[in-house]
Amino acid sequence: MAIQVGLGTSIDKDPLKAAREAAKTARLNLHSENVDLAVVFSSVEFTHTTFLKTIAAVAGTVNIIGSSSFGIITSQAIFKSGIAIMLFSFPETIHFSCACIKDVGPRPAASIGIELADKLSVEFKNVRRNVGVLFSDGLMQDSSGLLDGLRERFGMSFPLAGASSSDNLTFKKTFQYFNTEVLNYAVCGLLLGGRLNFGLGVQHGWKPLGKPRYVTKSSANIVYEIDGAPAAKVYEEYFASDIEKLRKDLRRILAFYPMGIYLPGEQEYLLRSLLFITDSGALVFQGNIPQESEVRLMIGTKESCLAAAGQAADEVKRGLAGRPCNFVFVFESISRYILLGRQINKELGIIKEKLGKDIPIIGIYTYGEQAPLKSIDYHGMVHFHNQTIAILGIGG
Amino acid sequence: MGENLINILGLSSLLTIVLLVLVLVVKMERLKQVRATVNKLKKSLDEMDEQAKLIVHTDMELNKTQEELDKKVNSLYALQRLSRAISTSLEEGKIFKMIDAAYLIELGFEKACGFLWSRDEQKFLLQINTGYLPAEMEAIQSTLTLEQDKFSELIKKQKTVSSISPKIDLWLKEKIKKLFLSETFILSPILPKEGSKGLLFVGTENPDTVITEGDEELITIVANQISQALDNARLYEKTWAAQQDLEKKVEERTRELTLVLNEVKIISKRKTDFISSVSHELRTPLTAIKGYASILLAGKLGELPLEIKERLEKINRHSDELVHLVNDLLDIARIESGRMEMKKEALDLKKIIETVADLLAGQMKQKHIDFSSEVSEDAKAVFADRGQIERVFINLIGNAIKFTPQKGKIMVHTLALNDQVQVNVADTGCGIPEEALDAIFEEFYRVDNPINQEVKGTGLGLALVKHIIEAHNGKIWVKSRPGAGSTFSFTLPKPS
Repeated sequence: MAIQVGLGTSIDKDPLKAAREAAKTARLNLHSENVDLAVVFSSVEFTHTTFLKTIAAVAGTVNIIGSSSFGIITSQAIFKSGIAIMLFSFPETIHFSCACIKDVGPRPAASIGIELADKLSVEFKNVRRNVGVLFSDGLMQDSSGLLDGLRERFGMSFPLAGASSSDNLTFKKTFQYFNTEVLNYAVCGLLLGGRLNFGLGVQHGWKPLGKPRYVTKSSANIVYEIDGAPAAKVYEEYFASDIEKLRKDLRRILAFYPMGIYLPGEQEYLLRSLLFITDSGALVFQGNIPQESEVRLMIGTKESCLAAAGQAADEVKRGLAGRPCNFVFVFESISRYILLGRQINKELGIIKEKLGKDIPIIGIYTYGEQAPLKSIDYHGMVHFHNQTIAILGIGG
Repeated sequence: MGENLINILGLSSLLTIVLLVLVLVVKMERLKQVRATVNKLKKSLDEMDEQAKLIVHTDMELNKTQEELDKKVNSLYALQRLSRAISTSLEEGKIFKMIDAAYLIELGFEKACGFLWSRDEQKFLLQINTGYLPAEMEAIQSTLTLEQDKFSELIKKQKTVSSISPKIDLWLKEKIKKLFLSETFILSPILPKEGSKGLLFVGTENPDTVITEGDEELITIVANQISQALDNARLYEKTWAAQQDLEKKVEERTRELTLVLNEVKIISKRKTDFISSVSHELRTPLTAIKGYASILLAGKLGELPLEIKERLEKINRHSDELVHLVNDLLDIARIESGRMEMKKEALDLKKIIETVADLLAGQMKQKHIDFSSEVSEDAKAVFADRGQIERVFINLIGNAIKFTPQKGKIMVHTLALNDQVQVNVADTGCGIPEEALDAIFEEFYRVDNPINQEVKGTGLGLALVKHIIEAHNGKIWVKSRPGAGSTFSFTLPKPS
């Protein structure tokens, strides 16, 4: 028996009604009595304190994992406001485990990664681990550190696809869902293993512009100096603007002009979104930028972004190598939503065209994505990305 | 030898030095060239970087323009869809539910909420919320209710206000920003003509969002459309309630009428039963009276003096009339109670009319009445009880003879309807006054005219005719004008 999947959505304005409706529809679409897991994504206004209990009651499972988001991606449509639930019934040959680390705020990120990996591995003794899925608070400062911890336990090349939860672009509060709890500052993980196949594609489509520059002073996600000058100068030069004006245009810069880190051997640059400019001219990014990195300002177009989505879906197909795919997770940067604007549905169309028009898809718009780098130099090591689309197709 | 060697070495050294100098010169030249190339490349790279800056700058401007254009296009689309959605609902409770949050977001605001003031509950009731967490919304709602005076005042002013609006006090502007957690906002009153009023709020936390007067107008249009939709819904609800009320009243009245009708039916049955039993009771002594009178008249008990004979003949005649009346009454009672068995069969109307005309030929001859009948082929067959239909014709033609003056005319003609045949019995008699037309088929009703005063009648003939026709699922009616004759029409079913 293959993995059974049931997708349900609702845009009812009452969070509990919406939860009930979406769970009911997912239950109807799941052609199995047994429900093993529910993946729940919703826009922030649906994060009612008891909505997960409603879902658990209607869906018939307490194994719930999910995240809040700026918008919901499903095979049916893209919802700016709504709730989507994907229910899973796994055959005996497939194993899964869910775990969550709460209140991660003050702790070193690497230790959180280690703890999460250990918790996820409890159920996986003598069972092959295939792929992991992560949901972490989008306001977490050191998302790269979290991956260091996970790599330490799962190995350098263990494939992971992750999403940093988002809100309505206010950067105030993002939510993670675990069983019947609605959490903040939490990291939730789903580990899948056994006889399953998967394909993972990661692309962004942004292109480098201008001359290469070098990070001369940085610490984690804060870049103090580029080419020996205050880092903000680069943006000041490119945008012919001062810090104050740059701050006003920050949302636009975040969406359209990320910083790209050159990675030898990789086809695409690793992108970092600019979050904040300090008074001293340091740049605060959504992910780490190591000192001495070669960086370039990046520019994207709708066409290049759409093409990247197609390439990511092609990578999924290549990973599956012709084997069937039962469902698809899409973790996509909010920036891409902003850049694509009204063409956002076109992107969904491209993914469906590549992976099958009837394939169940569920996904979110994120403040950051976790996915492997492909080249041999990086041994498929998982990195924290921005502005990227990560597509994970699983079959079994 | 030694000197030669020194000279050779000196020469070769000199040559080497010269060669080295030459190589050095060439290398330096090359280095110069490389340096020039590097400088050129560096210059190109810098130029390229400058171009990149230009591209970025232009791209940024393009993006801004594109965003503004998108916003405008989206706003118009959103407005159109909002208008359509709002106007489709005629239920007050559903109007706000028809507003998709996505439309408001397309207008450029990630936060939106709508409230209506409830007089009963004395608070602002939330109608729509997008972008606020449930806890945030609860706080907004309770503050709005607590400070309802200020917000009601704002609603009363009937003006849209915004974060760029000079129309409101700075402190209120700040209060709205703080309360609705928005840096930029538009607040528009919802003002239906009747019923509770409210407000529509849209806002964004992004302080860089620029609100224009166009945006204010857009939100005002949305709020106005909500107001209009509320008016429509309330009007519809009123009409619907009135209709419901009317239907309820009709239902009540129907129930009352049904009760009265049942009572009437009971009374009518009692009347029929009474008439039936009285008639039976009357018939027995009448038969005896008539029997004795006949015996006496026949002289079986001895010859009677002429005066007594005349009196006995009167008794006999009146007894006949009384028997006739009792029989008619009994027949009506039987038909009313459904006890009269109708032996329905296919009948030829032409033959029946001829038989009845023959029967009444003497009377017509006496008054020189011209009788004619016209029975078409498609309207001669009916499905009815022969005896009863003959009674109908006898009564109607008999009446016509009675009320038609000397040398008058009586015409009978039939015409085919769908599954019925209509028979018209027309005369050139004195006609019936309009006020009598409705009562003419009632029992014991007799039109007040000189002929009726002269000629005796029971007042049951037409009532009996009506009952017979109705027992055949037919209808009977009359058209008449005083002095212009009368036409009695009735319908009978065709044989299937």
